[in-house]
Amino acid sequence: MSARDEILQALRNNRPTPENHPLPPVATLGDLDASRERFITSLKILGGDVLEPVEGETLDEAILRRHPDAKVICSNVPEARGTLPVERIKTPQDAATIDVTVVRAAFGIAEMGSIFLSEAQLPINSFAHLGQHIVVVLSADAITANMHTAYQKQPEFRSANYGVLMSGPSATADIQGVLIRGAQGVRTLSVWFT
Amino acid sequence: MSNRPVNHAKAAAHFLEDAPHLQFHDERLWDMRQKRDAQMHILPEWQELREEASRIKEHTLSRLPEYLEQFEENAKKNGIHVHWARDGAEHNRIVGEILKAHNARNLIKSKSMVTEECDMRPYLAKQGVTVTETDLGERIQQLDDQLPSHIVVPAVHKLTSDVAKIFAKDYHTDPDIRDPHLLAEAQRQAARPVILHADAGMTGGNFVVAETGTFVVCTNEGNADLSATVPNLHIATIGIERLVPRMADLGIFIRLLSRSALGSPITQYTTHFRGPQKGGEMHVVLVDNGRSARLGMEDFWTSLKCIRCGACMNTCPVYRRSGGLSYGAVYSGPIGAIIDPTFNERKYSTLPYASTLNGSCTNVCPVKINIHEQLYKWRRVLVQHHEMPFVKREIMHMAGKLMGQPKMYRAAIKMTEVSLASMPRFVLYNWLNPWGKHRENPHPVKQTFHDWYKKNRAPGQTDAAETAK
Repeated sequence: MSARDEILQALRNNRPTPENHPLPPVATLGDLDASRERFITSLKILGGDVLEPVEGETLDEAILRRHPDAKVICSNVPEARGTLPVERIKTPQDAATIDVTVVRAAFGIAEMGSIFLSEAQLPINSFAHLGQHIVVVLSADAITANMHTAYQKQPEFRSANYGVLMSGPSATADIQGVLIRGAQGVRTLSVWFT
Repeated sequence: MSNRPVNHAKAAAHFLEDAPHLQFHDERLWDMRQKRDAQMHILPEWQELREEASRIKEHTLSRLPEYLEQFEENAKKNGIHVHWARDGAEHNRIVGEILKAHNARNLIKSKSMVTEECDMRPYLAKQGVTVTETDLGERIQQLDDQLPSHIVVPAVHKLTSDVAKIFAKDYHTDPDIRDPHLLAEAQRQAARPVILHADAGMTGGNFVVAETGTFVVCTNEGNADLSATVPNLHIATIGIERLVPRMADLGIFIRLLSRSALGSPITQYTTHFRGPQKGGEMHVVLVDNGRSARLGMEDFWTSLKCIRCGACMNTCPVYRRSGGLSYGAVYSGPIGAIIDPTFNERKYSTLPYASTLNGSCTNVCPVKINIHEQLYKWRRVLVQHHEMPFVKREIMHMAGKLMGQPKMYRAAIKMTEVSLASMPRFVLYNWLNPWGKHRENPHPVKQTFHDWYKKNRAPGQTDAAETAK
């Protein structure tokens, strides 16, 4: 017997009586506030921040104000020009030289301050991770309340091959419990609302 | 591998001797527990979430073959190669063959307890594959040649100075660094070139969705996403119990996982893999390694509900004061003590005793596993199977006899009181009295409760127990 069939057979022989364990209906629990304010509060708890535009400022200018030392800025959104045309990112490794990556999130989750990116928002999947910093463009209309509403209503979870919820920048507390924002992925994550 | 029972008490005693490490370990884990509590108090629906999570997991386990088949069908439709491994050896062989077919010599991986179970790294090393752990804590443990001491924070038993010493040797950094930021930066700088030149990436999987053929990886450092998106070959090793039926079920589990683990609302990265990236190849290895047998154990099958958050470890007074390595097993703490004996009953026969049975583990478990009851039930099983140390067995045997005979029991209590008051220490504290290690025997009393009761109460009443005799 193949490993597959042997494992499935053992599970059939050993499992508890299925009739005693019915599947509960899908649950929607907790706070259903989908406001931008709730999103921002949650985002800050996870170490992310909001790029607030100074009057009349373009996104390009705001990025330079936030990251004055950035040399390579690569944008996958029409709202920002950047310094490196995104067409130049052809292999996963090409994204390693980027200082600031600019993307648009498909949606956000108010409960967690999470933003969703998939291959539909990225020229190449590593684009979201290899750059030093990330600026995420998010429409205030594209915020869903919490994890329940996100998984029930967002079609992206069923269509994307790669879908990441980023909740603030990368972080670690593996050395003596000290929380460090900016571990191995992006060092900072800023959200620009449109 | 040695089959000798792990001497947890001795290893724990060794851990207790080092005050700075002990104090940090105890406080750090308790801090995680308190942060978890703070998250729990924010959510009025917390207990409902736990109840739902438990019911969904129990349902899934009762229909695991059907859900595994559904996952396999959907994953294959999306272009994922699905493999099945009966045990660790088969898992390692499968991974080795995939790597060989791609001529892959450098594998980067994120944290996976299943690959620890399978002891994969030494196997691949023999095949000429360089395996680099990319999670900071796991990398520290790899460089120090130790098992992870905690399933979420693998190097939690180490201080900054320990990490500085390890990194100095391998990354040539200053051994006197005392700022964790500098050490984390050293890891980032050392890992980047390895990631950029890797031939293959490996991750684990926290949840598997049958309905869509998706698997989900929850991490904080970004290393799992780098491991999965930079190389074009992605292998995921996942235990067969990780299934949930529906995409919507993830809402329950993601809300519970990181809050229970670290007290943060969500992990920084929650990544959903449903198929290979453009130009890439994706493999999932579904690992049994004792799980299908555990499903048939009436008292212990619910341990398969575990989502590996580590909350039971953080709250356990024994774990906090003995350290994960003292369990001598891949899984430590209360959850380890109830699943390790299913891997090797003799070797891990001592672990269910590493508990005060205070029930705190059960209270914090997000999927409501009755951990402390299973610890107690394991003790019964181990006694029936004679997997109990000689002294403990004899003491229990004598205690059983004594407690069954009130007259003898009372005589013995009086004798004990006299002995405690009069015997020299070397008679009272030795290997026949493991209770007296690190503890003082109770103070002797002048009068037993029974004597006091006879004197002060119930004149004329007969002792019910003696009348019954």
